Amino acid sequence: MLAAPLLVEEATGIGALGFDLGSIIAYLVTFGLLVVVLSLFAYKPLLAMLDQRSNRIKDSLEQAERVRRESEQRQIEMQRALDESRVEAQRMLAQAQAAAERYRQEQAAQARAEADALMERARGEIQRERDAAVEQVRREFAGLAVIAAGRIIHKSLDTQTHRQLIDEVLTDGGQPARRGG
Amino acid sequence: MNSRVLLPIAGLAGVLLLVGLAIGAIGAALFGRDPFVPQPEVHLAPQPVFHVGAFAVTNTLLSAWLTTIVIVVLFVGGTRKVNFIPGRLQGILEMFIEALFGFMSSVAGEKLARRFFPILATIFLFVAFNAWMALLPIYPSVGFKAEGSDHVTTHLLRSAGTDVNMPLSLAIVAFLFIEFWGFKAHGFGYLKEFFRLHPIQGPIGLIELLSHFIRIVSFTFRLFGNMLAGEIVLFMVTFLTVFTAPIVFYMLELLVGGVQALIFTGLTLVFTFMAVSHQEGHEDEPGGHAVQTTHAAVAPQHQAGGIVA
Repeated sequence: MLAAPLLVEEATGIGALGFDLGSIIAYLVTFGLLVVVLSLFAYKPLLAMLDQRSNRIKDSLEQAERVRRESEQRQIEMQRALDESRVEAQRMLAQAQAAAERYRQEQAAQARAEADALMERARGEIQRERDAAVEQVRREFAGLAVIAAGRIIHKSLDTQTHRQLIDEVLTDGGQPARRGG
Repeated sequence: MNSRVLLPIAGLAGVLLLVGLAIGAIGAALFGRDPFVPQPEVHLAPQPVFHVGAFAVTNTLLSAWLTTIVIVVLFVGGTRKVNFIPGRLQGILEMFIEALFGFMSSVAGEKLARRFFPILATIFLFVAFNAWMALLPIYPSVGFKAEGSDHVTTHLLRSAGTDVNMPLSLAIVAFLFIEFWGFKAHGFGYLKEFFRLHPIQGPIGLIELLSHFIRIVSFTFRLFGNMLAGEIVLFMVTFLTVFTAPIVFYMLELLVGGVQALIFTGLTLVFTFMAVSHQEGHEDEPGGHAVQTTHAAVAPQHQAGGIVA
């Protein structure tokens, strides 16, 4: 036969549980001290550390997010600046090309105008030289003709009448006189 | 672990079980010899170890002090230098604290949990460590022999939870804590819940008031009963089978200690939260919306208690 555990108690009923005011107070004091000590030296630093860590993680995540957004923004800005500069470059290139073209045309026109002017002047000069030469030749020829005629006809004519006669001959252009022909 | 290690251990455990059955109370009754482990004596009341004046220092109180010292050394020592990157001990303690705080936040919200935390966390630690410490071999083995006795009759240390005064003290703390927060949240309007001039609500209010006081009894005897029953079971299993089989019960008691601590803490938390938020509609209490959370939190607690009790 198995023996049941022996109940070794003096008191009976609820008193057998051993309620004791002194013990209750002792437990309460012990518990109170434990609460105070743990609150000050364990819970406070631990909870503070947990808070600090969770804050730091939150901050880090926020910062990462901010950096990501910023870099995205910057990339967009860079892309835009790139696009803008490309457009600008194309615009400038076109402008330069237009200017060059205009300059070329202007230069060409100017050169042509100068050339024309030069030619015109040269032509005028030539004309003047020729006229002068013709005049001189005519004058000298007239003198020679007078001398020659004087010698031929041995007859001296007064110079004035003579010159008139020569002029008539020359104006006819040295063409054979109609009268004689 | 592979079978090469596991098999010899299982074999040894089996042999020990058979030997234990043979030399324990069962074998002793069969073979008509004295049992290897003496018949345990169950004391409902704690036994005094020494006296300080008129005050008797009992073995349970001594054990509670030892537990308190262990908790203080562990927690204060482990958090003397709190580092941002925790070491092992700090990591374990943080895990503990974080789990407790998370549990409280889930019921009462973070703001209230922060204010409840010191008392409730200490209740948890005190109950759990008292139960766990009592599983150490020095508890059932070291003690004093009475005149003419051949075995220990007064243990030096005994699980504090098996002394009705300890659960009662914690129940008083819990009761005062709950009512303190009720008054703090609602002032003397807190009493309006209990005293009403109404044919139906009047008596209900009085019953409610009574139930607040009865909580002291239920808190006390839930913990006391579980701890005392656990101790008796361990004594008896060891008495009957000596080896191997008690391991299972030691593991069970390890679980029971944590579960009872969680139940004690959880119920105090829930009751306190109910006291803070029970007059919804009258006042804008932070977290007053979470009354359903309260009920949801109560249910699993009772279930957990039901399994163990």
